[in-house]
Amino acid sequence: MSVVLEDIVKRFGNTVAVDHISLAVEPGEFVVLLGPSGCGKSTLLRIVAGLEAPESGAVRVDGRDVTALEPRDRDLAMVFQNYALYPHMSVAGNIGYPLRVRKRPQAEIDAEVLKVAAKLGLAELLNRRPKELSGGQRQRVALARAIIRRPKAFLMDEPLSNLDARLRVETRFELKHLQHELGAATLYVTHDQAEAMTLAHRIAVMRDGRVLQFDTPFNIYNRPANLFVAGFLGSPSMNFIGLPGNGTTLGVRPEDVEISPVPFEKGQPATVYAAEEMGNETFIRISLPAGERLTARVAADVRPDFDAPVWYRFRAGRTHLFDTKTTEAIQ
Amino acid sequence: MKSAAKYLVACAALAVSWAPIYWMVTIALKREIDQFASPPLWFAFTLTWEHFHDAFFVRSFGREMANSAVVAGGSTVAALLLGVPAAYGLARLQWPGSLGERVGFWILSTRMLPPIVTIVPLFLMMRELRLLNSLLGLALVYTAFNLPFVVWMMRGFFDEIPRELEEAAMVDGETRLGALLRVVLPLSRPGLAATAVFCLIVAWNEFLFALILSQTDASITLPVGIASRVTQYKIEWGSMSAAGVVAMLPVLIFAAAVQKHLVRGLSLGAVKG
Ligand SMILES: Nc1ncnc2c1ncn2[C@@H]1O[C@H](COP(=O)(O)OP(=O)(O)OP(=O)(O)O)[C@@H](O)[C@H]1O
Ligand SMILES: [Mg+2]
Repeated sequence: MSVVLEDIVKRFGNTVAVDHISLAVEPGEFVVLLGPSGCGKSTLLRIVAGLEAPESGAVRVDGRDVTALEPRDRDLAMVFQNYALYPHMSVAGNIGYPLRVRKRPQAEIDAEVLKVAAKLGLAELLNRRPKELSGGQRQRVALARAIIRRPKAFLMDEPLSNLDARLRVETRFELKHLQHELGAATLYVTHDQAEAMTLAHRIAVMRDGRVLQFDTPFNIYNRPANLFVAGFLGSPSMNFIGLPGNGTTLGVRPEDVEISPVPFEKGQPATVYAAEEMGNETFIRISLPAGERLTARVAADVRPDFDAPVWYRFRAGRTHLFDTKTTEAIQ
Repeated sequence: MKSAAKYLVACAALAVSWAPIYWMVTIALKREIDQFASPPLWFAFTLTWEHFHDAFFVRSFGREMANSAVVAGGSTVAALLLGVPAAYGLARLQWPGSLGERVGFWILSTRMLPPIVTIVPLFLMMRELRLLNSLLGLALVYTAFNLPFVVWMMRGFFDEIPRELEEAAMVDGETRLGALLRVVLPLSRPGLAATAVFCLIVAWNEFLFALILSQTDASITLPVGIASRVTQYKIEWGSMSAAGVVAMLPVLIFAAAVQKHLVRGLSLGAVKG
């Protein structure tokens, strides 16, 4: 149950929404498409679903070329950002719809609906209409409708983005567990890096219709392929310092900037610009003598004053070097 | 003070628009001798049902009303059958360039010329097709006449239904037609009702085409039938009014039933372009 994209191109008028993208979702794998708004994530997902036709390239599901097939013949399930529940049907009607369309016997549909609803905690709500549900409940109904058919793969377009922050984290765990349990290939779109890092087996970081890096969350974070990926992931984001002379940029993550109130080995002087206490940790913004600013992530008990002198150094082996012009990482 | 003045103006407008209707209803209920009393008998007159009996059992208003019903109903069904898929196509399918907008405008533009200018060509066409004096001919004309409204109104209603619903249905296993029938149409039921009522009312009230295209006793519709009771010898005020009152009822009922949607449907084009 794999999904393979081969050299997909899609244009809308003059905008290139998808620019020669190839990537593979292995059986059972959770792949996240991550990128800023307008980078073509949804378009790519819709091409896989068959809701948009690519200009060139092929989509393969389980090795079969489905590029020319209708959405219904691809055996995929999709969860939409606004859930797209059918307003004129009950929750049970919504969940059972994919089976009803396929003319399964009513008894079987009822049994399956009950099973899936129980799994997602919807058993009490089966007779309600979608408009009588909370956002979180709607989201579950959409999930239930997707999993009832046991499709070859799941496609999800920002399924958590309409939930409030707490529910989103909660649902993230459930989603991860559910995907593990079902073992189905999943292609998931988000612009939230925390979602991408926590859910994905592999992340495809996209910009302007292209995949800039396709790798595990660990590698994306620790071995970013270029300046954009380096800056897009991580919060607070990576510090960049232009190195004079050789046209390279040094990148260092806030947690790899060590700070001391007294001089220490290899420490460089700086002053505190401002500090943000997060409760469990503190972010300190420091001003270098040359005027640049760096963010350091330190323990919560560090509480420096404004303009206090500090010394900083970069953790050994934790810096990244990029070619300033091509923005590519230099190994 | 200001609002009192507003009410006054509103009441005056109401009185002006209701006066003819009041007059028609009372004439239908008055004996012939009271109809021309001077000064007019506004309230105190002897009630009689004789004009209603006359209109529908002695004269031919009954058959004319049946003709009207057949033509209005038939043309409404036909206009919906043709117009709803067209509206869906305009609202949802991808058209090259701005072709979708243009086709939509062309369809609407057929309603921009005064109907009278099409009368002569229509008459000639109907004569060639041997559809003069036939209910089918008239129904065809009304279908053509209502089609742009159906397309334009239904397109507005379809535009309001999120695309994702159909897309979800198609991923769930529907064809596009299945998604239209089982998801989009059930959700646009209010719009369909408003559109249908609009077509019914237009066809039910239509006078001009009916007058020119059907003139035999067997084929005339109610508006023409009523008007033709003004003859050189006598004007049958009583039965004309009685027929008018009955003719008004279905329109009132339909309009009341879909009033909310009718206003919304009619203003859609104005707001959304
Ligand atoms: N139907 C369409 N017609 C014209 N342009 C479109 C259409 N759909 C998408 N685009 C354009 O294609 C590009 C990619 O859009 P897409 O919706 O895939 O972005 P996205 O990465 O999903 O963004 P977001 O995070 O905001 O959802 C954008 O520039 C968008 O304006
Ligand atoms: Mg999107």
